[in-house]
Amino acid sequence: MTPEEPNTMTISTRPLKVTINGQAQPVEDIPEELMMLDYLHEYRNLTGTRFGCGQGMCRACTVIVDNPDGSSEEVRTCITGAHFFDGKTIRTVEGHAQRDDAGEVKALSTVQQQFLEHFSFQCSYCAPGFVNAATVLVERLQREPVPRSQLEDTISEALESHICRCTGYVRYFEAVRDAVLKTPGTTTGRS
Amino acid sequence: MRYRSALTTLFALCLGTTPAWAADADKDTLERGQYLVRAADCAACHTRKDGTPYAGGRPIETPFGTVYGTNITPDKEFGIGDYSADAFYHALTEGELPDGTQLYPAMPYTAYHTIPREDSDAMYAYLMSLKPVNIQAPETELSWPFSMRWTLNFWNVMFAGKDARDSDGQSDTWKRGQYLVDVLGHCGECHTPRNSLGAVNRDKHLQGAVIGGYEAPNLNAKPLAERGWTPQALRTFLREGMSEQGSMFSEMYPVFHHSTRHLHDEDLKAMSVYLMGDTPPEATVVKANDTQQTDSAGRRHYLNVCAGCHGADGEGIPHVAVAMKGNTTLRLDSARNLVKVIHDGIGAQSFNGFERMQAMPGFADQLSDAEMAELVNYLRQTWGGQARSIDAATVKDLTTTAH
Repeated sequence: MTPEEPNTMTISTRPLKVTINGQAQPVEDIPEELMMLDYLHEYRNLTGTRFGCGQGMCRACTVIVDNPDGSSEEVRTCITGAHFFDGKTIRTVEGHAQRDDAGEVKALSTVQQQFLEHFSFQCSYCAPGFVNAATVLVERLQREPVPRSQLEDTISEALESHICRCTGYVRYFEAVRDAVLKTPGTTTGRS
Repeated sequence: MRYRSALTTLFALCLGTTPAWAADADKDTLERGQYLVRAADCAACHTRKDGTPYAGGRPIETPFGTVYGTNITPDKEFGIGDYSADAFYHALTEGELPDGTQLYPAMPYTAYHTIPREDSDAMYAYLMSLKPVNIQAPETELSWPFSMRWTLNFWNVMFAGKDARDSDGQSDTWKRGQYLVDVLGHCGECHTPRNSLGAVNRDKHLQGAVIGGYEAPNLNAKPLAERGWTPQALRTFLREGMSEQGSMFSEMYPVFHHSTRHLHDEDLKAMSVYLMGDTPPEATVVKANDTQQTDSAGRRHYLNVCAGCHGADGEGIPHVAVAMKGNTTLRLDSARNLVKVIHDGIGAQSFNGFERMQAMPGFADQLSDAEMAELVNYLRQTWGGQARSIDAATVKDLTTTAH
């Protein structure tokens, strides 16, 4: 193909409007077949969300979708198209810490802090998924507290589909339990 | 010396758990019995939920109430330990116990009716060789009038009959297939519609029926071919649980595990020859449809939530997710199975060797009925050669009504 010849292979695109970590992103024409993970990496330079299995199994690619009703949920970006998020508000692992105007981290979220204190992150590959999942859990418990006696089961249920290849599950588990207990209003009954 | 005799006694005690029948039966008979028991898929209903084989207790939902699979291990208290070979043959093929109790036809004795005595004896020998499991299966309690088991005598007279199907054949292979499909495999128990009294409608042999909310598809030759099946593909499907036409799910998945994957290749061939006839009709191929290029709402839903695993062009990912291209479920007249699968999802499934399909999530919470209808229409139109016939009301009906 010479430079003059038009490329006959066209990629269909559609404009995508999405808010990430509190910032409305510039509306751009995005290939309609693009997965969200690739959009985050290639268009937004947000590389903290990890490509793990590429099949929706390991959950390293999980981001948070914030619903208009104040609830939030986990969505796997390696198997979900970018345009699924059109008009939606999401948080990625980059969006949890407080930053100053220069973009430097000033303070970590409770979840992040507990993960550090428990040495939960080992190779770190699964970290973005765990940070997002644990954050979704803590926020849910703030809205809908569970009895303290059910907390352990609730944590297991919420995080069990996330895979850590270093098998650091106990450290993750204990960190999430501490993060929940340090967040007021998440449990009821005696602690 | 004393020590030695104690050992001998212990050894004898261990041997003592093997029933006399098993000791009498030779190895070939036991192997044949095991094969026939698998071909007859006894495990489907007689295996406990905890996986204990043949100990019974699995609930079988019928429109008349719940029937529980019984313990068919040689336990004398709760199993068939006291059955003679005669009694076993009679129960298997006539649905009647030694004391005259009629079995409910959830036990497919109408299908098993023509099992030859020698096959029944081999099955009996195999079952009697198993370890007795001293567990009582729950009692079946149907509401009146179905609780009156004696009425089944009339039922049996009314609904005995001969099957009618569209695939002709005279070959020995075809006849062997008939035995495996209609008698041992009792495929018609799910794939043949039932009348209001729960009897298999033999005039509509294997023409498809709804069971547990899913459609057990029409297995007549022409409809199979129209959905892309060839005898070779059917063999692969039964042996591997998957083929280019898709993978087994719902009630067919345990059938694969308990039964079809154990069958010899010549028997799978016989089943496929019986189903599609000695001269099988040509499988139809879906013509490429240009809906894929259009910017339809259905296409957008597909790219948003399906294409990550099933591929932007419907090609699927080996060992992860089946292809949509060539998928037989998209070609069924009814959208029932497609809608149910998208709505409910499918758990992770393992097949032969290391083959597996990963869990498919259900999209009940992510797609509205209208969006699901758009998606289903897109799938059926693009890869199923179907018209756009599904609306939100159909989706709602299929996903909310108990069928």
